[in-house]
Amino acid sequence: MAETENEVEVLVQRVVKDINNAFKRNPNIDEIGLIPCPEVRYNRSPIVLVENKLGVESWCVKYLLPYVHNKLLLYRQRKQWLDREALVDITCTLLLLNPDFTTAWNVRRWILQQVLRECSSPGPDRKEQGDGDRHDAAEKTRLSEHLHRVLHEEMKVCADAAGRYPSNYNAWSHRIWVLQNMAPGNLKVLHDELSSMRQWVSMHVSDHSGFHYRQFLLKALVRELSQSLSSSSSPQHYHPQPSSNPSHSPHKANPHHQANGEATAAGPCPSPPSPEDLALVPALPQLFHQEVELCTDLIKSFPGHETLWCHRRHVFYLWHHWRRDHHYGQGFGSESPQPNHTDAGLSSHPHTACPGGVGLDRVQRRNGQAQEGQDAMEVDGVGVPDPRDTKRLKRGPPGPCPPALPSEHSFVASVLDSCRSPEQGRFALAYRKWLDSVIGQ
Amino acid sequence: MGTQVKDVVIKSDAPSALLLDKHADYIAAYGSKKDDYEYTLSEYLRMSGIYWGLTVMDLMGQLTRMNQQEISDFIKSCQHDCGGVSASIGHDPHVLYTLSAVQILSLYDNVNVLDVDKVVEYVRGLQQEDGSFAGDKWGEIDTRFSFCAVATLALLGRLDAINVDKAVEFVLSCMNFDGGFGCRPGSESHAGQIYCCTGFLSIAGQLHQVNADLLGWWLCERQLPSGGLNGRPEKLPDVCYSWWVLASLKIIGRIHWIDKSKLRSFILACQDEETGGFADRPGDMVDPFHTLFGVAGLSLLGEGQIKDVNPVLCMPEDVLERLGLHPDLLS
Repeated sequence: MAETENEVEVLVQRVVKDINNAFKRNPNIDEIGLIPCPEVRYNRSPIVLVENKLGVESWCVKYLLPYVHNKLLLYRQRKQWLDREALVDITCTLLLLNPDFTTAWNVRRWILQQVLRECSSPGPDRKEQGDGDRHDAAEKTRLSEHLHRVLHEEMKVCADAAGRYPSNYNAWSHRIWVLQNMAPGNLKVLHDELSSMRQWVSMHVSDHSGFHYRQFLLKALVRELSQSLSSSSSPQHYHPQPSSNPSHSPHKANPHHQANGEATAAGPCPSPPSPEDLALVPALPQLFHQEVELCTDLIKSFPGHETLWCHRRHVFYLWHHWRRDHHYGQGFGSESPQPNHTDAGLSSHPHTACPGGVGLDRVQRRNGQAQEGQDAMEVDGVGVPDPRDTKRLKRGPPGPCPPALPSEHSFVASVLDSCRSPEQGRFALAYRKWLDSVIGQ
Repeated sequence: MGTQVKDVVIKSDAPSALLLDKHADYIAAYGSKKDDYEYTLSEYLRMSGIYWGLTVMDLMGQLTRMNQQEISDFIKSCQHDCGGVSASIGHDPHVLYTLSAVQILSLYDNVNVLDVDKVVEYVRGLQQEDGSFAGDKWGEIDTRFSFCAVATLALLGRLDAINVDKAVEFVLSCMNFDGGFGCRPGSESHAGQIYCCTGFLSIAGQLHQVNADLLGWWLCERQLPSGGLNGRPEKLPDVCYSWWVLASLKIIGRIHWIDKSKLRSFILACQDEETGGFADRPGDMVDPFHTLFGVAGLSLLGEGQIKDVNPVLCMPEDVLERLGLHPDLLS
């Protein structure tokens, strides 16, 4: 059948519009799928919305993908103007149908770099005092709120895409890029992300990219918290050093380049964390303990998942090296003097009274709080009761604080003793071998 | 109680013999129907598609069945004023397709179809201050582009055009705790990126910076019970990883850590006995991309009927011999 170019244009614009309207009408859409329907039906919308499920009739897809891709191409060739919002819409639509689509993620990063540049460009000459200063403060607040909104919007897009395509490398590496460039060294954002991701990864135990994201967050938190430890103990003297991390290395504009210019250099300077921010984030040993506990729970509840064992390797490696670099004590519980990042110390932290049990409950609650503000997690069925809670209680209070080599070897032994899955045994043995070869040196 | 590990099960009637003639016929006929829907959909990567087709034909000793003149004319019309080459006529230039074009012309010993100085200029212009490479003027940064840049320049004998030390510094900043590499600093290790980074380090003469034992271990953990290789933990096996993983292992001198016969069985099972060509996994639709990497993987495993393939550049060794190119390999 020979569709005219105009027919295709009209059809596709309608599809994009219908999809956007569907989301506006029902922001709680939690599932998008293709409805097998080979028969072309020009006069009817191929978009079907039933409660929280959005369906796209399959016949229109073969027009949509090349069309949208072509529009992007024409825009980049400067042959056709597209406003930024339309670009954001179009990339959203593309990612709905193809959550792994590299070009769409690239375009979003290009837009974000523009946003960053606008937010950090110096304001007009301020010669007047008084009113001028108030203007500055108001403008700064407006820009920072804008960035904050953009950041969270982007997190949502990443989460949506991650939910629709398992182990979505492009979505998660985009998410990392966004944090590196839009919120470098931001303790609150890093910790909020770590908390809010807990539920997601627990429901996606094969998703290696999702767990890698946690590894990235932990590593970034280690970096920021370590720096606050090594500087003066008082929070006012916190001096983040973004350039020591290669992920912050500035991509300065090359004369041949417009787009990939001062993404990081112009990015928001990490402001010293407030005492409130620092108090919100547990001390490093606690963070590691929580992460290992999460990993242990998932390994025992979902035997035979390589991703979980890989995660354990990474977390233990981070912990082991941090401990070594900071001459951290071998045996420690709440009674030994612990380096901490607030003068108030750990004693004011509910975590330290009983390192395992109470801490975990608090994290779970905090996790809940984080989710209320974030629609993105709805995709994964927030309301489902967590069977691991009862399992945890049955096991009794967890052992001492973060892991050490001996405790890891005991863990492997206990898994081998009780496991009935050959794959689980295989991964446990591989982990032991890794401990001996890589850590044991 | 146990989980099904993500893997395929190879059926007993899966192909177990190498069907080279069928693959040559498949490639020779591919793209002859220019209005075929899938062919048009893949126009955005056409230059790489041609590279995959020609290289696999050359590895099978069948390059003469392809139309050299038509292809050379096509490549010439894809070079832009900036020196970069696009995937097809009317598309934007990109370092990916610039490399593919140079690889194709190297097969034919005819790189002067392009304005070589301008190609060098284009690649040089993509290097950033931190040593990384953008893919094109729109600025996406990815270690794949570092590989494309040095591979292009190495084939043209012009590696001196870029700041190699800075380029190395950036690639090394993408090395992860597990010995692998991601697309950018902090990104997840991925077999495709690992191939690009080890290939890069080979060309740059910096392979000693790789932790070969650690990375080799990660790579051979990609092998699944079916014998196939995946690209990351808990992903399905895919025949293209027979290339990315295997070539990486060869580059770092650890190819003997893989179970070769199981991998060979997997690759052969990915053939389509009726149409010719290889698919990503047994029973799926074939395409030229997977056909090249299936054949190249078999070559690395020592298949006698296939020419030796160079693990760094994925081109026949005799072509590189002619160019005097011998990228480092660890032993």
